[in-house]
Amino acid sequence: MDLEYQLIVPEFVLATLATLVVAGALIFRGRVRQEFWGYATAGALLILAILTAVFYWDTNDDFANVLAVDHFTVLFRVFFLGIAFFTVLAAIQFAGDRLKNHGEFYGLILFATLGMMLLGAARELLTAYLALELLSFSFYILVGFNKLNPFSNEGSLKYMLLGAFSSALMLYGISLIYGVTGSTTYSAIDPDGSGIRSIAGQLANFTGVGGDSSLPDPDAVRPGLLIGLILITAGLGFKVSAVPFHQWTPDAYQGAPLPITAFLSAGGKAAAFAFFLRLYSEAFLPVAAEWAWFVAILAAVTMITGNLMALQQTNLKRLMAYSSISQVGYLLVGIVALNAETIGQSQDAAAALVLHLIGYVATNIAVFTAIIAFYNRTGRDDIVDVRGLAERQPFLAFVLAAGLFSLAGMPLFAGFATKFIVFQVAFSNGFLWLGAIGVTASFVSLYYYLMVIKQMYLYEPEGTDRARFRVPRPMALAIALLVAGVFFLGLYPTPLFDVINESTAGLFQQAIETSASAVR
Amino acid sequence: MIIGLEEYLALGALLFSLGFYIALSKKNAVGVLMGVELMLNAVNLTLIAFSRFSTSDITLSTQVFVIFIIAVAAAEVAVGLALILVVYRNRQTINVDRTTLLKG
Repeated sequence: MDLEYQLIVPEFVLATLATLVVAGALIFRGRVRQEFWGYATAGALLILAILTAVFYWDTNDDFANVLAVDHFTVLFRVFFLGIAFFTVLAAIQFAGDRLKNHGEFYGLILFATLGMMLLGAARELLTAYLALELLSFSFYILVGFNKLNPFSNEGSLKYMLLGAFSSALMLYGISLIYGVTGSTTYSAIDPDGSGIRSIAGQLANFTGVGGDSSLPDPDAVRPGLLIGLILITAGLGFKVSAVPFHQWTPDAYQGAPLPITAFLSAGGKAAAFAFFLRLYSEAFLPVAAEWAWFVAILAAVTMITGNLMALQQTNLKRLMAYSSISQVGYLLVGIVALNAETIGQSQDAAAALVLHLIGYVATNIAVFTAIIAFYNRTGRDDIVDVRGLAERQPFLAFVLAAGLFSLAGMPLFAGFATKFIVFQVAFSNGFLWLGAIGVTASFVSLYYYLMVIKQMYLYEPEGTDRARFRVPRPMALAIALLVAGVFFLGLYPTPLFDVINESTAGLFQQAIETSASAVR
Repeated sequence: MIIGLEEYLALGALLFSLGFYIALSKKNAVGVLMGVELMLNAVNLTLIAFSRFSTSDITLSTQVFVIFIIAVAAAEVAVGLALILVVYRNRQTINVDRTTLLKG
């Protein structure tokens, strides 16, 4: 078989870069300033992101039937590289002040990014599993990176134990799905035209549309299929931290070094959702009715619990953890809405999901970068500590306020436009009750975001340290860029939405072909 | 008695349930990891049974899958034990019920 290695050059470059950073920091220990590795990593990530976008956008190919290199992959490649770039930029000062072994730190961030890129591209379950584990292992270590801090240890221990447990659940689900369909490939859109048995093709038997009929009897294997789907959804629920599988999230978020909390809440979630979306739209779409109810319950419970638990938090990191859980609820609504009458409607749901994901991630990184800048100066992360921030550092206060308003879904900001589109899709695809819960939950969320904003704007600074302070130039620039992006997305999401629409269309190729052959 | 697919699947399900129970009920972090290992081995058994009795012509990929699961499980134990060791050094306990600095 000819393997077209040129398709996965960005992944090779990233793996090489990660190895070089780790090895370089070891070899030049003490001879190069520690910050150098941070700036070098950030620069390389930015260049790689731009080159990937320029050279791969028009590719629509497939690497050995295990990695799709289509618009969706490229969009997420650039997205993940961007997330890593902003995380590294935000982490440089923090790492210099509070962490050791910078080479390993940035190297592991790069390895996690590599895992994300492979996960977004994978269209075969073994590949997806390996990418997911590369991502998770890097995160286990990164969360516990501050190894003298017992909070960091404990967060990473809980994250690792639950992560391993959830992987095992998901694997058992995968083995059952393999048993039912006899394949681990998502769908058989093969540019070379060789007919490969695929999950989507086999599952099409269940609805009686197309697919070859080498399956025994749909009714005999239905229990296996159902348990498999539920286990995979539960495993993924752990990874994206949907309620009731969310227990590790607040602990890992609070224990982790702040830049890693940002990376986990942005990159970890985005990667898990890229996998979620590709798996459920490419492979499991034919049996959407079998899993939609289960994901719908998850989404509803997640939106409600995430928002209610956030109300009683006193720590900023924990507040952001529960806020991210509630955002997962809104994103899951997009997955549920894949279960629609026509493929066009499913496509709308996928596009809405990705749009909200990008808006959420941009906002979240902006908020976290602001919190990191604040933490670098004060070393505190409780909600009452931001008291009077508007006087001490008006720019940071403004960024935090804008970001939190966007997360709450106020008009003008990204959160409103993207959430609006998600709920609109839910309504038009027949999930009125889910959309209604989502809208109500959004109103609840406004309360706890406003609590933080109130502390910043309505109170005088307290304590011994109430002087004004400066934010380092690169960080301020990164924050300004992200906030500009959040405003732009909120006011004019059309260009990005068009790009996303184009990328998610590829996910439904097999579904369209199957239904076309059924009509014929 | 001929041992067929059903018997292997039943054994796999039994092993998986045992591992599930151990992972959820053990207080010791190493015990939880052992439960997870049992679950992973149940997955391996199920996959191998399916590939042995499958009509599909690509059964080899399943066996490769199993080899990868074994390798990843070993890596998982390495990372897991390292993290447990760090916790033990700082706290002198690996009881997951007593590591409760973080809550709420």
